[in-house]
Amino acid sequence: MQVKKKSSVSPFKIVMCALLIAYAVTLFLPMLWGLMTTFKAQAEFRKNVLGLPQDWTIENYTTALTHLYLDVRRGVSLVRVPFTRMFLYSVLYAGGCALATTVTTCVMSYASARFPQYKLSKVIYYIVVVCMILPVVGSLPSEINMSQMFGLYNKIWGLWIMKISFLGMYFLVFYATFRSLPDDYAEAARIDGAGELRIMVQIFFPLARYTFMTILLLYFIQYWNDYQVPLIYLPAYPTVAYGVFSFGNSGDAALANVPVKITACIITIIPILILFLIFHKRLIGNVSMGGLKE
Amino acid sequence: MQTAKKKKSKTRKQFLFLIAITAVPLVQFAIFYVGVNLNSILLAFRYYSFDTGYSFAGFGNFERVFYEIANNALYKTMLVNSLITYVVYVGVGITLALLFSYFIYKKMPLAGVFRIVLFLPSIISSVIMVLLFKYFTESAIPTLLNNLFDIEMSGFLSTTKTAQPVLLFYMVWAGFGPQILMFTGAMNNISDAVVESAQMDGITPVKEFVFITVPLIWPTFVTFMVVSVAGIFTNQLNLYSFFGTGATTSLWTFGYYLYHQASMSNLPEYPFLAAVGILFTLIAVPLTFLVRWLLEKFGPSAD
Repeated sequence: MQVKKKSSVSPFKIVMCALLIAYAVTLFLPMLWGLMTTFKAQAEFRKNVLGLPQDWTIENYTTALTHLYLDVRRGVSLVRVPFTRMFLYSVLYAGGCALATTVTTCVMSYASARFPQYKLSKVIYYIVVVCMILPVVGSLPSEINMSQMFGLYNKIWGLWIMKISFLGMYFLVFYATFRSLPDDYAEAARIDGAGELRIMVQIFFPLARYTFMTILLLYFIQYWNDYQVPLIYLPAYPTVAYGVFSFGNSGDAALANVPVKITACIITIIPILILFLIFHKRLIGNVSMGGLKE
Repeated sequence: MQTAKKKKSKTRKQFLFLIAITAVPLVQFAIFYVGVNLNSILLAFRYYSFDTGYSFAGFGNFERVFYEIANNALYKTMLVNSLITYVVYVGVGITLALLFSYFIYKKMPLAGVFRIVLFLPSIISSVIMVLLFKYFTESAIPTLLNNLFDIEMSGFLSTTKTAQPVLLFYMVWAGFGPQILMFTGAMNNISDAVVESAQMDGITPVKEFVFITVPLIWPTFVTFMVVSVAGIFTNQLNLYSFFGTGATTSLWTFGYYLYHQASMSNLPEYPFLAAVGILFTLIAVPLTFLVRWLLEKFGPSAD
């Protein structure tokens, strides 16, 4: 049988391509405009919003770096948190939470996918599915209340504990990965006398390492960019995203101009862009999940 | 006899191992999911006073919620805005994400580049994207329109009439990343044999998308749709990132309202917010099941 040849240029392709090119333009235009603005002084920006800078300056960068700090209350004292410290808090918050959530999700999906003969495995799967389907809304006040009750409020390690969670879509991604792996490896290892822990850590986890790395990175980026959780749960330990949000609404005279605020944004984008450039193939690699039925 | 004993011992060891690796996450779940939600229910039936602490409120908080819904015009505004947000998210956002995913899956021209471009907004903090977007729409575009067409206008976010469409555009524009990731992942799992056989019959790209791709990734699509129902009550439309606590009430959604109130309020307001949350959950649960049932009943079949 011969495959019918079709024209390689279809109206569908043209329309989609045009839409995506338009999307790319609208995405990069504000970024390029923003980057250009960082090299303009405020006085020039007022007169020349769109054009290239006439007097190129890096003053916005020095101003942003010297004013990128937040004064926060810890107990009765007021503490000044510089940008470098916010960066450290971001690494601790995003790194710790991403690791806690990814490891927990991976282990729980392994337990659920590899031991289907036990009721507990099924219970775990149904907990995830039910929690995904059942939308619980407005539990924030209660969660704040609980975190204060358990002494986890305003502590980075407290949030790590709160993020030891296996709920969410990525459980299904891990579940699909572990279910697709044949049982022969485990059986062979058992015959050789390997214990269950060894089988999990040395056989199955390495086979799921790409999925693990992708999900770890996705969680890391999610937590790195998140400012709302630190704003509520870590008021005394501002992260970079929390800091940028505060600068955006800052009344500080030095920060009260558009070029400096945009410069602060550009500075904070850099670490995550580097991470993206290094890992973009892994990040946007092939991750798939099944549906909500077993 | 000995084999049966060995098998029993193996089963016991496996079960103990299963308990050992799942105990901590299950305890965490019991406290921070079950406990938090039980606490939310308890909180909804209490009052808090700085002088006397917590006291039993009966249905007092719920009565206040119903009173507010009936008499406070803000709730009607939030309902309309939340529904518009949901419809745009599903109708435009998810539909475009599906089409873009298909474009990438079929490796059409520049598919690799577009995959990175579409994912880019997801790796940049929403607060940074919002600031760049905000200043671009508030400063650059009005200046451009003024230079090109001599149109005098203030920023798009300054007036309610233009602010909502701009916010809806931003939500769709910046939100493709996770959807593209999941949809292309599901599409890549479609058997080549099925696609090749359809191509032999001369199927067009549009027909292939409608009759093969969508039915075969339907479970992933349903998952997205089911999870997104809660968005009616949780989607903030990025209002907090754009305006902090100062968004004009005509733009508020339920999601913004809940976060705004929780971040602004002190202890005495928490019981009322917990009651609001419970009421929203009671509406969202049957709605979610209805959407799931409709999608499964009337959705395409993989056969």
